[in-house]
Amino acid sequence: MKSELDEASGQHTTGHEWDGVKELNTPVPLAFRVSLWLTIAVAVIMWVLYPSWPGVADYLKGTAGYSSRDRVAEAVADRQALRLQQMPEFAALDIYDLAEDPTLEARYAPAISVLYRDNCAACHGRDLKGQTNFPNLTDDHWLWSGDPGEIEYTLQVGINHTSDDTRWAQMPAFGDGMLETEDLLSVVEYVLQISGSEHDAARASVGADVFENNCVGCHNDGGIGGYENGAPSLVDDAWIYGGSRSTLRETLQYGRAGVMPGWQGRLTDEEIKKLALYVLWAGQDGPN
Amino acid sequence: MSTPHQKLERNGMGFALMILFVASLGGLFEIAPLFTIENTVEEVEGMRPYTPLEVAGRDIYVREGCYACHSQMIRTLRSDVDRYGHYSLAAESMYDHPHQWGSKRTGPDLARVGGKYSDTWHVAHLQNPRDFVEGSVMPGYSFLSETPLNTHPLEGSLIALRRVGVPYTDAQIDTAMVDALRQADPFANYEGDLQDSYGPNVQVRDFDGQPDRVTEMDALVAYLQMLGTLVDFDSFDAEANNR
Ligand code: HEC
Ligand code: HEC
Ligand code: HEC
Repeated sequence: MKSELDEASGQHTTGHEWDGVKELNTPVPLAFRVSLWLTIAVAVIMWVLYPSWPGVADYLKGTAGYSSRDRVAEAVADRQALRLQQMPEFAALDIYDLAEDPTLEARYAPAISVLYRDNCAACHGRDLKGQTNFPNLTDDHWLWSGDPGEIEYTLQVGINHTSDDTRWAQMPAFGDGMLETEDLLSVVEYVLQISGSEHDAARASVGADVFENNCVGCHNDGGIGGYENGAPSLVDDAWIYGGSRSTLRETLQYGRAGVMPGWQGRLTDEEIKKLALYVLWAGQDGPN
Repeated sequence: MSTPHQKLERNGMGFALMILFVASLGGLFEIAPLFTIENTVEEVEGMRPYTPLEVAGRDIYVREGCYACHSQMIRTLRSDVDRYGHYSLAAESMYDHPHQWGSKRTGPDLARVGGKYSDTWHVAHLQNPRDFVEGSVMPGYSFLSETPLNTHPLEGSLIALRRVGVPYTDAQIDTAMVDALRQADPFANYEGDLQDSYGPNVQVRDFDGQPDRVTEMDALVAYLQMLGTLVDFDSFDAEANNR
């Protein structure tokens, strides 16, 4: 059947007929039809240029040589180069030289604080002051010394973390039969004494011997801490877990092994240097 | 009098066949790529089926709807790679049924969260996120530390996963329940057995800070600490796998 003129509307019909019902031919506006064909044409061009159809053993790679993986590798490298350009010192100098340059903090601290917040604030707090289980980084009381190289190394390998060369710092569980309960309670009183808290003096004097026999190997004479094994000083007011009687008992009973993640692989060498400096700056500013 | 169009329209069988053909195209485009999946999934070192404890953790992850706020897919975008690390590989979700790529990031991507934090942090953060991140909208899941892990479904889970292509061995399925309990028990002296069975990158320790029992928190944290750590990227040939 042919398209015919419909008298009532003055338009043509499509020429189709269903049981006597005919349909007016009112096509979509020309602009729409043109853009439809244009998008189809663009799609065909894209098939040719970019990776598209899967095949049996491979896929059409496209003539433009595009690869999203190459592209992102380039973008990351570009950004890395830009950062080096903006903060050239961090690629050129080692951590000791960086630590001696007094001008860096004013210039770079705001930028580095973003890096710190993204990676470290969850544990050490936005203000670096730490919280229970996670040490304060501003107080100049160090587990592994405040030497810039040591801090950098801690950031690289972490403490008690999964990598093979991580730093190990285990406080043994003395409740597992290593100490009699009486001795354990006494040494707690001794720790309370040397850290300047209220304590039972008679017990503390017994505890001093227990400490001498069991603890000085790691915590050093008088409990001042050692830098080679991550054992903290017990005579200052900086605590990772807490200096109250009940917390000390828990520490002695069950032991402790706090985990600080290692950042090698996750962060670049330059980023690790930046963060090590950031920690050092906070230590210098903080109330010692 | 009739155009080809009209002939077709008035031929019931012919028209039905045409409809069938057009409708099947949709299916074809979805199904055909599955036959070439072998050359989509990269060859990598280190990827292994999840241990029973990790499977249990993954089930809890799905049960609690963590995927509604967290993706596990680091896209090939600079901002993603900058923040989360190496872009995700197809190989990294080859044992995920279903995958947890997600499409919504209310919270950060978790594809490489393994090793980024400590167990202590995860447990405390899951119990009350606002203790660590001011203003976090993530709900607290403290009940996970109270709920003992039910290991009974694990054998069945592993069998089901094997049916859809995860290469669990008979031995692994038989010991699923013990394997789950012992991965969270550093004193069981079982690390060697688990690593022989699954691979050297199995982490064995008490995850939830309660050495005397195995809870759902153990399973979830074991799963989180494994995420993104399996593939050995030192041996990954990016050139050969660029797409
Ligand atoms: C998962 C929580 C966590 C994260 C994230 C974290 N840390 Fe730590 N960090 C710790 C813990 C716990 C310790 C103490 C380990 C111990 O108890 O022996 C520590 C120790 C340290 C130390 C050693 C302090 C000393 O006294 O020697 C430094 C420095 C440090 N962290 C800096 C950082 C920086 C910088 C970042 C960010 C890149 C960071 N940390 C991220 C948990 C964390
Ligand atoms: C093998 C070495 C070692 C021995 C022995 C040892 N400690 Fe420790 N101690 C550590 C380490 C390492 C830490 C830090 C653990 C951590 O950061 O998670 C620590 C932490 C502590 C803490 C927690 C401090 C805080 O800031 O909260 C206390 C208290 C303590 N030890 C007391 C003792 C007492 C008392 C003894 C003897 C009965 C003792 N330690 C024996 C290595 C040791
Ligand atoms: C309502 C949305 C929501 C749900 C549901 C949710 N989260 Fe979160 N999650 C967040 C937000 C927002 C953050 C970022 C703030 C924070 O760290 O608390 C986050 C952060 C995290 C982080 C830290 C990631 C990082 O790299 O800093 C982990 C791990 C995590 N969530 C695990 C989980 C798990 C496991 C579940 C399920 C049991 C879960 N989340 C459910 C919103 C959610």
